[in-house]
Amino acid sequence: MFAFILAAVLTQAPVAPAEPSPLPTPAAPETPPSAVPLGALPPATHELFQRLEGQVAQVRIIERRSGTRSSIGSAFFVSAAGHAMTNYHVISDVVIHPEDYKAELVLKGGGEPVPVKLVDVDVVHDLAVIQTATPAEHFFDLDDREPPQGARLFAMGNPRDLGTTIVEGTYNGFIRDALYERLHFSGAINPGMSGGPTLTGEGRVVGVNVATMGNQVGFLVPVKHARELLTRALEAKDSGTQALLDTVRAQLLDNQQRVTERLMGEPVPQQALGSYRVPGRWSAFLKCWGDTPHDPEVPYTVTNYQCSSEEDIFVSSRHRTGVVSFLHQHATSQKLGALRFSSLYTALFSQDPDPVEATRQDVTNYRCQSEFVDVAGLPVRAALCLRAYKKFPGLYDLVLRAATLNASTSGVDTSLTLAGFTADNGRKLARRYLEGLSWTK
Amino acid sequence: MDEVIFLEVLEGDGVQARHRLDRFPVSVGRGYGNDVILDDPKVSSEHLRIERREDGALVLRDVGSQNGTYRMDPWTQLAELELASDTRVSVGDTVLRFRARSHPVEKTLVAAPPSAPRPRVFEQPRTFSLALQALLAASLLEGYLANYGRTDWGELTVALVVPLGITFLWAGGWSMASRIARRQFHFRTHATVAALVLLGAVVIQPLLTLVGFSLGVSANLAWAHHLAFLGLMAWGLFWHLRYVTRWESARLVRVIAVVTLSFGALSRADAWLGNESFSTELAFRRALLPPALRLVGTEPVDDFFAETLKVQEQVDALAREP
Repeated sequence: MFAFILAAVLTQAPVAPAEPSPLPTPAAPETPPSAVPLGALPPATHELFQRLEGQVAQVRIIERRSGTRSSIGSAFFVSAAGHAMTNYHVISDVVIHPEDYKAELVLKGGGEPVPVKLVDVDVVHDLAVIQTATPAEHFFDLDDREPPQGARLFAMGNPRDLGTTIVEGTYNGFIRDALYERLHFSGAINPGMSGGPTLTGEGRVVGVNVATMGNQVGFLVPVKHARELLTRALEAKDSGTQALLDTVRAQLLDNQQRVTERLMGEPVPQQALGSYRVPGRWSAFLKCWGDTPHDPEVPYTVTNYQCSSEEDIFVSSRHRTGVVSFLHQHATSQKLGALRFSSLYTALFSQDPDPVEATRQDVTNYRCQSEFVDVAGLPVRAALCLRAYKKFPGLYDLVLRAATLNASTSGVDTSLTLAGFTADNGRKLARRYLEGLSWTK
Repeated sequence: MDEVIFLEVLEGDGVQARHRLDRFPVSVGRGYGNDVILDDPKVSSEHLRIERREDGALVLRDVGSQNGTYRMDPWTQLAELELASDTRVSVGDTVLRFRARSHPVEKTLVAAPPSAPRPRVFEQPRTFSLALQALLAASLLEGYLANYGRTDWGELTVALVVPLGITFLWAGGWSMASRIARRQFHFRTHATVAALVLLGAVVIQPLLTLVGFSLGVSANLAWAHHLAFLGLMAWGLFWHLRYVTRWESARLVRVIAVVTLSFGALSRADAWLGNESFSTELAFRRALLPPALRLVGTEPVDDFFAETLKVQEQVDALAREP
């Protein structure tokens, strides 16, 4: 999966502001849209860096008892009032454990770190707004203009605490079929650059550095989400500890509602697996893979078919949510007797899907209900397990396990994982999923 | 003292050897020329004599032994001692006691009227071979059914050798106890009990799985498993101890009940105290058997999802715990 990293802000090729900005005029002068293709004009990187260096800072998360930093990231100023944009995952410790952690900002040229307060967060898009007590002299304007694919971009940030750096790369558009919108930046984004800006050559922000898959495959949060969050943050509001947790909870609830509606609005496609039909690629955001290991010495075959959003929402360093994934295993054998096949089938049914990461501070233990269920004439052993979120009441992780029981030497074992859904939505989706199982003979 | 007395060589509280002395003098020592020979390296080859004096009294006289002769109570070295009943003297590492023919013995213990010994089924050679064959067959079958991959002959061999080895080691241990406590090994009986207990242990799990699956028991059968295991343990202990102790059945049952219940309680203490550690495990019954073995019906999807409301309540309650 994605390795989260600290990010730097990139400026983008200048384009005419599409929408009025609620922010004061940016320090960088607005330039009219260029008639020349962006890639044709090699920007003077060192000039860009010198001009913008002061607008990018390092975020340090300070563990209160040791009094020293426990993690670092990047941030960039977005208002004259000292608001700065970073990633939610950079400051998540301050949201979840404010009694143990605080945030501070190291400005250009080092010097004493300044304390910052957390103003607002967007957990789903992995963004957060922090604010320093002192106003910012120069800051970035957040304009939502998509650059053409292939445009040259510059990511800024503080990779691995090596000081503010600028990295060149190219813009490759939105990630296709993503559950959570991300831009694809082909350039080196490294840990520590999270929360930094990615810019066009003219210094316009395109996105916020958020993640990398290594090998120059980097991901950005589109700037429009940053602008929306900033608009909200500029409205005076309570940003106490509990208020922030409530915000996170409300955003997670909204998000799961959106995902649920999206899934419930689409029919469950039928995927053939042996003589069974199982839920296939339910929605475009699911990536599906399948395989059948071939071993001539083994007297059975097991075919895997799995789909996953391959994305999750970072709640804290050891708690993820917003996951949809499922796995079917079709087992069949010509050689095994009914009892030996049931040993194999039991072994498959005993393997659970990879758990979604969480600790005992985040979730309860699972509780399960298991029965023989009649799914439109197909007898199935089904188990539904739930665990509740402790900090976000009303949200649950759900695992549905089911194994067909209509034949003595073949069957489909299936599991569905839904992380961060209300129990009702989870049940609704699990039911739709379970009813996607059928037998064709 | 009587005309006839007994010289007893003591070993702890018991008598190791008893010699009837009716003609005097009697010589005692390590040498073969003595009337009573003591195999004690600290006893001289001619150590002491017992003579009848003219007045009829019996006298013990040290005949110049290397290490001397001692009266026990009070402890004094002696050269000559007039014997009374129950006199004890020490020579080398050996204690001798002298008793007259008229020495009183304790009253006979009153015992329950003995019944004819009942031949027990465990003691029969046939039972032993049957129990062992059943154990090996069950172990082999389990090994075969549990292996759904390529036939693994090594594993099947282990499925035979391991129960066999355990049975004999187990029986060996109990036999030693029997030998020490009752001077008889009872090896075959112990081996039979061991084989039957192991057979039970092999069979319990599949049996509970079968019951759980066939009847659609959704609850965890860990309790039933635990109880069955304790029952088996108590049964095995009872029959092993029958051949080790001389306790009456009622007492044996009481002791085993206490031992078994304490063990059962201690091994479950964690669950009773409600110490549930954090886990991402999904706890439900995984066993799947051939569909033909299912006896209960299926329930509609509606009911299944309606019942999960209970699960939701359970996790909500967990989330409220501090």
